[in-house]
Amino acid sequence: MGILNNALPDIAPVRAVDAAVGWGRGSSLWPMTFGIACCAIEMMAVYAATFDLDRFGAGVPRATPRQSDLIIVPGTVNAKMAVRVRRLWDQMAEPRYVIAMGACVCGGGPYVKWGYNTVKGVHKIIPVDIFVPGCPPRPEALMDGILKLRENVTREAVFARREATARILDARGG
Amino acid sequence: MEALELYAVDDRADVYTEELKLNLGPQHPSTHGVLRVELRLDGEIITAARCDIGYLHRCAEKIGENVSYLQFTPYTDRMDYLSSMNNNLAWSLTVEKLLGVEAPPRAQWLRVIMAELNRIASHLIAFGTYGIDMGAATPFFYAFRERESIMALLERPSGARMLYNYIRPGGVAHDIDERWLPDVLAFCDEFEKRWAEYNTLLTTNKIFIERTKNIGVIPRQMALDYGLTGPVLRGSGVKWDLRRDVPYLKPYDEIEFDIPVGEGTHGTLGDCWDRYWVRMLEMMESIRIIRQAAVRVPTGDFVEKAMLKMYKSPLKPAAGEAYMRCENPRGELGFYVVSAGGASPIRCRARGPSFCNLSVLDALLPGCMIADGVAIIGSLDIVLGEVDR
Amino acid sequence: MNEQQLHAKLLASGLPGIGELDTSARDPFVRVDAGSIVAVLTFLRDDHDCRMEMLHNLTAVERPDAIELVYHVCSLARHHALTVKLSCPRPDGGNHDTWIPEVPSVAGVYSAANWHEREQWDLLGVRFAGHPDHRRILLPEEWIGHPLRKDYVYPTWHDGIPLELDAIPLYEPGGGQAAAEAAAASAAGAAGAAAKAPRKAGEPLFQPPAPLSTRPLAPGGKTTDTPASELGSH
Repeated sequence: MGILNNALPDIAPVRAVDAAVGWGRGSSLWPMTFGIACCAIEMMAVYAATFDLDRFGAGVPRATPRQSDLIIVPGTVNAKMAVRVRRLWDQMAEPRYVIAMGACVCGGGPYVKWGYNTVKGVHKIIPVDIFVPGCPPRPEALMDGILKLRENVTREAVFARREATARILDARGG
Repeated sequence: MEALELYAVDDRADVYTEELKLNLGPQHPSTHGVLRVELRLDGEIITAARCDIGYLHRCAEKIGENVSYLQFTPYTDRMDYLSSMNNNLAWSLTVEKLLGVEAPPRAQWLRVIMAELNRIASHLIAFGTYGIDMGAATPFFYAFRERESIMALLERPSGARMLYNYIRPGGVAHDIDERWLPDVLAFCDEFEKRWAEYNTLLTTNKIFIERTKNIGVIPRQMALDYGLTGPVLRGSGVKWDLRRDVPYLKPYDEIEFDIPVGEGTHGTLGDCWDRYWVRMLEMMESIRIIRQAAVRVPTGDFVEKAMLKMYKSPLKPAAGEAYMRCENPRGELGFYVVSAGGASPIRCRARGPSFCNLSVLDALLPGCMIADGVAIIGSLDIVLGEVDR
Repeated sequence: MNEQQLHAKLLASGLPGIGELDTSARDPFVRVDAGSIVAVLTFLRDDHDCRMEMLHNLTAVERPDAIELVYHVCSLARHHALTVKLSCPRPDGGNHDTWIPEVPSVAGVYSAANWHEREQWDLLGVRFAGHPDHRRILLPEEWIGHPLRKDYVYPTWHDGIPLELDAIPLYEPGGGQAAAEAAAASAAGAAGAAAKAPRKAGEPLFQPPAPLSTRPLAPGGKTTDTPASELGSH
């Protein structure tokens, strides 16, 4: 019961707090500077002047996972890199969100059939919130994905993230 | 007043220091991709460095043995994803050499323009990210503004912003529209003004010069020994450019352009500043090439008619092999393809320039500080897609 | 100098193990023996007329009867290039998986060969005797197998990372296995019984089909050319 069990009653003051916190979180999603492959260049184009992600509050990329809310995974993840991607995700603090950008991380992409060491989709390594397909997705597509994530984040309850992640980790055995 | 005694920490026998092992990458803002360098540090100074690559190994050579020659073209795009047109060009020329065909003149001139536009786009990223490595964020935004213009231009014939899959064996994929060449010339006019702006940002910036002069000096013999090519080689004073010395496209013989080389302007010949300046000058040389080529594109076919059948059934070159190398923005990309008469090659080897350029890092890093190490990695201008393939 | 003159220079140098120049190829190449590759490349690098300062490319090619090493050297000063080939014939009855040919390393002649040889060891399993740092470069250190071999079997897992095409996802709302079984149970019994036999442990879910290029199925056997109608979508 209560905050410690992530089970708050659904009354107006709690909903107001959820809305306020959700609005704050959604307007300041700080991504991690993480670029793997070609999609990273389109991600950089989204940060740059023509498409400007900063106007949505998400334009303060942090180099360290411990300070970032969002990890955009752009580019093929292979066996060697998957260990590091998982480690980076583990180091992020709650609430954390993942956008899988590009066909390679959505489901293997062009390397799905003959790639012997590519992971066919980063959702096998870390839980993904938004999939942005494309090879590479246009900067507008990535922005669309980030805005959809922002809608989701705005509507989340304050402690919902922690509970959802705890459920996933329990189901997987930690 | 008693004099202050200043201790040199190194000389004190009672201060115990230890070598620190530090990991640079694979997630790092300055490693230009997923590169990992194992550093051993004495304070801030690097005593030993070891590159660990393979974080973007995407089995390109195995894929080449399993898909057809035409189907491999998009995979060449994704190797050096910043200069896709040049990769496509190298692959197409290799397949054409294997088949013994030649692209029609219109296709060749269009290929030259595409390759040079992509060279500018690639050097712009080198310029922008090099600024970020040094801590200067402004050049990045300027560079991407120009890159958007180039990508809009290249999107019109090919349909894609970045991984074009446009230059194919036999010619190019689609023809250009009638307003494309005048727009390219308009871009050239615009770019020349912007290039002057870039020089005020970084080239003559005292802090940038201090951070790049006499850093990462590559002597001529070392460059040749390690197989370095491209601006890295030319920054060490070696005037070698495949477009001039081993021409792979006929139009390059008819176009006037210079080969910029480093001259040790601010420090030793072959330092980071020389390599940076070679890239800046090459952007202007590319504009010169594009201006000359854009008014000389002949009419005619944009793809060799005999090759159009590759869209219906896979090409099956006779048994044999071919090695072709092209001047990419990062160096010389070589494709070695061995055919046994089937629809796919039995060996499809890509000699990536960034792979060879990066091998010199283990020898360059010891002795400099970490910040200088970042400057050196940035000046080599590597793309991990090409290092790992 | 063109390839004929370079070949003549090599023959005149008196080095052993230099074969003939094969001019039928699009890039004429010189065959040399494995034992003399270091001497040949050193000669090409140091001789005043050859001056091959740069090793441009080093490739290993797996052919049905041998593994070939191809060295592309080029000269900037003299504006010429040469291809040198080395052949390691397959021993009779050699099992593809376990045969590791060994050739001398040329990393002492050209520093560029250091990384190229590591890559050929990594992907094709060619040992280079005398290499200063003989370990894998692109694949993880503990990877088993050399992927560019023609009979390489794709792994399904590596070190806890699933590499299969449609492995059971680790994260799926509602649970992957449970949802699949519930759907199967509710479907018609006849369709469900014949369709899916349980997969045996260790059996890969996806094995890529044989490559399109011709390769001999048995020593001396003929291969059939795949007709165009059978080339499916990739």
